[in-house]
Amino acid sequence: MHTLHIVSKSPEHPRFRECLAMVDTNDAVLLTGNGVVALADTSIEVPSPLYGLKDDIQARALTPDSAQCQVIGFDDMVALTIQAQRVISW
Amino acid sequence: MQTLIIIDRPPYGSWSGRESLDMAFSLAAFDQPVSLLFVGEGVLWLNKGQDATGIAQKSVERNLKAAAMFGIESLMADQSACQRFSLTGQTLIDGVETVENLRATLRRYDHVVFPG
Amino acid sequence: MTTAIRNNEGFLQNAADWTEEVARIIAEEDQIELGEKHWEIISFLRFFYKTHEMSPPSNRLFVKAVKEALGEDKGNSIYLMQLFPGTPAKTACRIAGLPRPTNCL
Repeated sequence: MHTLHIVSKSPEHPRFRECLAMVDTNDAVLLTGNGVVALADTSIEVPSPLYGLKDDIQARALTPDSAQCQVIGFDDMVALTIQAQRVISW
Repeated sequence: MQTLIIIDRPPYGSWSGRESLDMAFSLAAFDQPVSLLFVGEGVLWLNKGQDATGIAQKSVERNLKAAAMFGIESLMADQSACQRFSLTGQTLIDGVETVENLRATLRRYDHVVFPG
Repeated sequence: MTTAIRNNEGFLQNAADWTEEVARIIAEEDQIELGEKHWEIISFLRFFYKTHEMSPPSNRLFVKAVKEALGEDKGNSIYLMQLFPGTPAKTACRIAGLPRPTNCL
């Protein structure tokens, strides 16, 4: 993986859009905090591969499509940040 | 590891920018290479002649002048945002490098953070 | 001027209350008798605050700022610790009438 984009802003926040514009092939996106709102918003085309932080998803009672988003815990999040060459925290 | 902290919010209206500055100073305190990049409305941090006494705050312009002394490697600003807010060589605070290609600039850093 | 109001950590509530006499009184509480070397750091800190509208945010940055301004002989932890025991940035800012450094415990 080249860049891991960690997005904690909801889709209506300008930074969410800016992030999507920056995602390249070989990049991955991890949704945390309000970012997981994107998983409930049917008007959004989410990038792939896509990860979502379990605690934030559960807190909002969201049920993401497992084909679209891989739900992960904090340990996996740490592993992802190590795997990535670069990390951008949006 | 090279860290880039991006400020995209205007100064004074919220605390998030101060927290960004604090994060940059803390990294510099431990000799971690860190730079600041101002984009969008955030470039207003770099406007010369700020006086925040009337709103009972401290001038971020003066705070930023300590950046080099504390070891922050560079202050950068997005050129198109500077144009949008009419920030030129005369109105921009000293020591700021303007960058044309944001994507290429971000690529130079291992860790990019938009705090707040 | 022994009536200057101070907060629970001994920092001045109102920066305008600061005088050299107030500095001496605050220093005495830490068993520090202010000499020439102390005053040099105190006036540096007051100048720093005037220029940047903030105290050096942490002890490490205090040391760094002194080093930039006065050189390595004075900008080092041991020298500053001898003058201002405890956490030098905190002790020195308190005596100099500056706000508490934000990142000092």
